[in-house]
Amino acid sequence: MRYIAPVLVGRAVRAVTRARGGGSALPGYIVNKMAPGFIKNVVAQFEYGIVFVLGSNGKSTTTHMLTEVLRGHGLTVFTNPSGANLPQGISSALLSEVGVTGKLKADIGILEVDEAFALELSKTLLPSTILMLNVQVDQLYRFFETEVVADMMLDTAAVATKHVISNRDDAYLSKIGEILAKNGGPVPDVTYFGASPKLVASSAHGLFNAANHREEASTATIDALAELESWDSTGARVRVAGELADIALPAKGLHYGIDAAAALATAAQVLGTEFDLAKASAAFSSMTPAYGRGELLDFGDEKVEFVMFKNAASLQLNLDALPAAPEQVMVAIDEGTPDVSWLYDIDFAQLDHVDVLTGAKAWQFALRLEHEGIPVGTIEPDLKKAIELMRALPAPTTGHKTWVVNYEQMMLARKIIGYGDMEVSF
Amino acid sequence: MSSSSSQSVSILELYPEHLEASGERGNVTALTARLERAGHRVDVVQHTMGRRLPKDADIVVIGNGPISAVRAVHADLTENAAALRALADDGVPFFAVGAGAELLGGGITLADGTVLGGVGIFPFSARRGVPRQVGYIVIESAHGTVVGFEDNASEWNLDTGAVPLGVVTSGGGNGNGREGVIAGSSIATQTKGPVLPLNPSVSDAIIRAALERRDVAYATSAAHAELDRLAAKSREVIVANVKSVFTTI
Repeated sequence: MRYIAPVLVGRAVRAVTRARGGGSALPGYIVNKMAPGFIKNVVAQFEYGIVFVLGSNGKSTTTHMLTEVLRGHGLTVFTNPSGANLPQGISSALLSEVGVTGKLKADIGILEVDEAFALELSKTLLPSTILMLNVQVDQLYRFFETEVVADMMLDTAAVATKHVISNRDDAYLSKIGEILAKNGGPVPDVTYFGASPKLVASSAHGLFNAANHREEASTATIDALAELESWDSTGARVRVAGELADIALPAKGLHYGIDAAAALATAAQVLGTEFDLAKASAAFSSMTPAYGRGELLDFGDEKVEFVMFKNAASLQLNLDALPAAPEQVMVAIDEGTPDVSWLYDIDFAQLDHVDVLTGAKAWQFALRLEHEGIPVGTIEPDLKKAIELMRALPAPTTGHKTWVVNYEQMMLARKIIGYGDMEVSF
Repeated sequence: MSSSSSQSVSILELYPEHLEASGERGNVTALTARLERAGHRVDVVQHTMGRRLPKDADIVVIGNGPISAVRAVHADLTENAAALRALADDGVPFFAVGAGAELLGGGITLADGTVLGGVGIFPFSARRGVPRQVGYIVIESAHGTVVGFEDNASEWNLDTGAVPLGVVTSGGGNGNGREGVIAGSSIATQTKGPVLPLNPSVSDAIIRAALERRDVAYATSAAHAELDRLAAKSREVIVANVKSVFTTI
């Protein structure tokens, strides 16, 4: 009963902020202030506990995959909207789901969490399971050193009360087994996912995980509970506990295949004997892509494929996943990606041209492409005008145009072409 | 002067696996593109740990990296310190960024007080652990306006009489209104971005110093026009947005 007032106030604030357009972290903040124990009490109700999904890249996609796999097993899942991975965004998301008395009908919470806030949030949310995806060079201006990011994840993993699922092929995260063994406790247990060595060797730019300059690479072979064997335009082949499964992928690429292996390993650990690979495969078949990750949206009589990037790793792996040089390409990048030094680490061989370059950083991107001799049609810093230039191009024979976009330009572009339906909760 | 070189121009890239964390590969890319468009052949030699340092080079380039990488290369660099100093004494221009520049300076005092010794090519020492400066930076220098992106928690203290690369008009730089340091034709800077593609005048100054040493002429031409136009446009936007993009963390 003690939560009725804070929940109602929080909801009212939420309604007001939504009516003004877009979401807000404010309602979550207000509830936290009015009832500090609220979140702890809500999450204690989850029978299967809380799963944190951590990583430089792939958090939204993997959270989505894991959610659907568990729903496919009949669980009711509470999850945060894509990208709403900061503390107040998570509070706001919880608030929208609870009854006025603070009751929440869900069996499990699956939350993507920004690594900078993971340890702090773990004190309130007491995660039972922690999934760590990768340490990749991301937003150096925020973290400077990748090892700082690695430690944020590794330190958070140590507080899991049941399971840790980690990336065998990551130079930092593969150390978690040794680290926890030194702590000596029986919990949490540690399980790995990964890609088969053959697959990694055949990838043009490997996995793009960050180099570990502080520790020697382990020579011991680590077994993976879920291992990606191959991927193609139709999906991925994953081996889970010795059993092979061909699954559909909501977006194409090596990194999405690895995200799927991570989701499967985590589902297997969380569900234990209830895990059923056939049910998991069925869940993948009906999955839709996450925002901007290989989505096909209507654009007049044509379609647009959104390829979103946040950093070097996501841009390179997404370019590598293109089946051929895209016929019609727009690239959109603005100041939402503050430091683009890494553009010079990218191999752009997958692009034979760019039709339109837009956003405040269009010139810097064009300068990079000029160094590679890749022709650029028009540079139009204004996104609206750039979209009209794309519209004016003849229909591509493939039926779709490809827009390579950073997060901020993706949100704007979606709105401009009539898909501005997402609540941004952070 | 011979109009073009039958010999290729060699760029020595130091520790690319460790010290190119802020896209410093792009500095090599920019030098290479400008040289090639001027009709010169370019030979990039990468020095990695444990390999033998080549005896000669026309340009030496080093970049930025995390402290773990600095520690990792430190022994190898110390072993090659005399050879690198010999190149510098010979007038070979160095272009050094961030942590790599600090290693080629007088040394780095870390936040915990530990000191990592430097090679002594650049007349400054670095102190880490100061408030982080992040964002676009604009510098007025002998090469004109230099722009880029800075991201460091490092203060550079220049030796008495040492000359900075320039005066900061926006951003943090060395921490006292100046940015970088020069030593003859060599340049050390904290500016990333990477800085050479964005600043053709700095690239050309390095290339000219390298080729004059060999009595070879260098001239830009129409082949450089698009690189220069796009750099100029990028610079315009950076100067316009310099205040809006970032803060001190």
